[in-house]
Amino acid sequence: MGERDGIPISINELNKLRQIADKARKNVIKMQFYDHSVHVGSSLSSIEILTTLVFRYIRDSSEKVNKDWLILSKGHAAPALYAVLAEKGLIKEDELWKIQSIEGLLQGHPEVFIPGVDMSTGSLGQGLSFGIGVATGIKMSGGNGRVFVIMGDGEQDEGEVWEAMTHAVARKLDNLIAFIEINGFQLDDSVSEVKPKDFLQDVWKAVGWRTFSCDGHDIKSIVDAIEEALKSKKPAVIFAKTVRGKGFPPIENSKRQRATPDVTRQYLVDS
Amino acid sequence: MLQGSISSIREAFGRTLVKIGEEDKDIIVITADVGDSTRGYYFKEKFPDRYFNVGISEQDMVNFAAGLSAVGKKPVAVDFAMFMMRAWEQIRNTIGRMNLNVKLAVTHSGYSDSGDGSSHQALEDISLMRTIPNMKVIVPADAADVERSLPVIINENGPIYYRMGRDYSPPITSSMNYKFEIGKAYVLKDGDDLAIMGAGVVLWDALKAADELEKMGISTAVINVPSIKPIDEATIEYYARKTGRIVTIEEHTIYGGVGSAIAEVVVNRYPVPMRFIGSVTYGRSARSERDLLDYYGFVPETVVKKALELIK
Repeated sequence: MGERDGIPISINELNKLRQIADKARKNVIKMQFYDHSVHVGSSLSSIEILTTLVFRYIRDSSEKVNKDWLILSKGHAAPALYAVLAEKGLIKEDELWKIQSIEGLLQGHPEVFIPGVDMSTGSLGQGLSFGIGVATGIKMSGGNGRVFVIMGDGEQDEGEVWEAMTHAVARKLDNLIAFIEINGFQLDDSVSEVKPKDFLQDVWKAVGWRTFSCDGHDIKSIVDAIEEALKSKKPAVIFAKTVRGKGFPPIENSKRQRATPDVTRQYLVDS
Repeated sequence: MLQGSISSIREAFGRTLVKIGEEDKDIIVITADVGDSTRGYYFKEKFPDRYFNVGISEQDMVNFAAGLSAVGKKPVAVDFAMFMMRAWEQIRNTIGRMNLNVKLAVTHSGYSDSGDGSSHQALEDISLMRTIPNMKVIVPADAADVERSLPVIINENGPIYYRMGRDYSPPITSSMNYKFEIGKAYVLKDGDDLAIMGAGVVLWDALKAADELEKMGISTAVINVPSIKPIDEATIEYYARKTGRIVTIEEHTIYGGVGSAIAEVVVNRYPVPMRFIGSVTYGRSARSERDLLDYYGFVPETVVKKALELIK
């Protein structure tokens, strides 16, 4: 158990986490000034989940089996992870503005040489299998580490997710918590247009996972879901309803990943 | 230590793996539902807590192994060569990119799954695996070579693709006594006029061809190159200089495989004429691997013919 597990979140902590998320959100939007190609929309949908995990739940340790692991399987949301890690002090804020530049530390998708990154990701569908390996290794070694994996709804198209979903149940992993962000969009179209996924939660449940839901932008809702998931004796998955581009009206709730520099500048000036 | 008491490559693999597992408790064997066929299952019989069948899901197997290695375990992912390729992108993007200590041990490579036909005959895997940064690629010549090399492979830190056939294992190295080292080639027979280089069970045909060539007065060296990556550049250059001509042989496509790897060294260090023996088509079903090798021309006569093209 983590030291915060089971402790109800106070108004003060809630406000603090909201402030951190707001700052990270603004920094992600700002990052596209420096590199227009970063995935802003997908990043903004992950901000509160990442903030909650990094600031309330993830425990660090020099021992690999006694630390918590954070796997951003939807690696294109890397700017959100970097922005939150910068708030945590693991990455210098100046590095954020050098994202994807040749002399910068921060890659377009997460790499393990970046502080706070536990798995190199970027190719969808791979994070959960890796998480199962880590969670299994932790249990075999008698460690107390937990594994948190964040996936997208479009990512659920990948066959490996099915392979891993059924595998985790076979391993009886109670130290594994997956998030599936339901922001409704993938690269080309809305998720419902490409492959409808209304059945998704039923499938995970039928396969043997404990399933939970939350509002992925409401930190209190996220905390409540995690607290319940942590009590599960089976692998737990949290379906988090999110909005792509959340908090950035020019692209909010659309498949667009970014706005023009002028529109972005105006937004930041106004906000 | 003389190897060679086992006559099947997969048997040698399964039994040797158990021996290694006795010494190192961090070794974990994982398979995608081919534990029995690969003989990885022997590990389960001895160490049931350190053996996982993830089901028919190769991509999951590879990243599961990656996760285990990330917390200090030493996973050995065991599969048919063909189906390990199904997870090439996972191997590249997770294991390769993170340089993880995962061993990919495959059986049924080349034509060795003779009966199942072309869908099960992996003739492209060496090419694919050697392109991955951080990945080492090793191809033992016979069952004795498996017994000799597997402990070294498992104890080496970092990702390794270890490629074996099924049962067919003519005596290539079983009468030899040497320590296996990654990155080293081994002289099976010395000679001055021509060098035959290659990997795997087809080296037996190379040795037979060398005997034929000797009868014609052509002094022929035969070099076992089990370490495709890293490759023994010094030995390859030495024999390029010494003999002036090289024939390569592999139970694999000629595009990007062992012959290509040797050619890259030769062109860089001492260019000499070369000929390549390998596959250029998909396979087909047959009752035995030997039937297929004969059918596709992996026979001493082909080696002699290619050699004479260089000698004339």
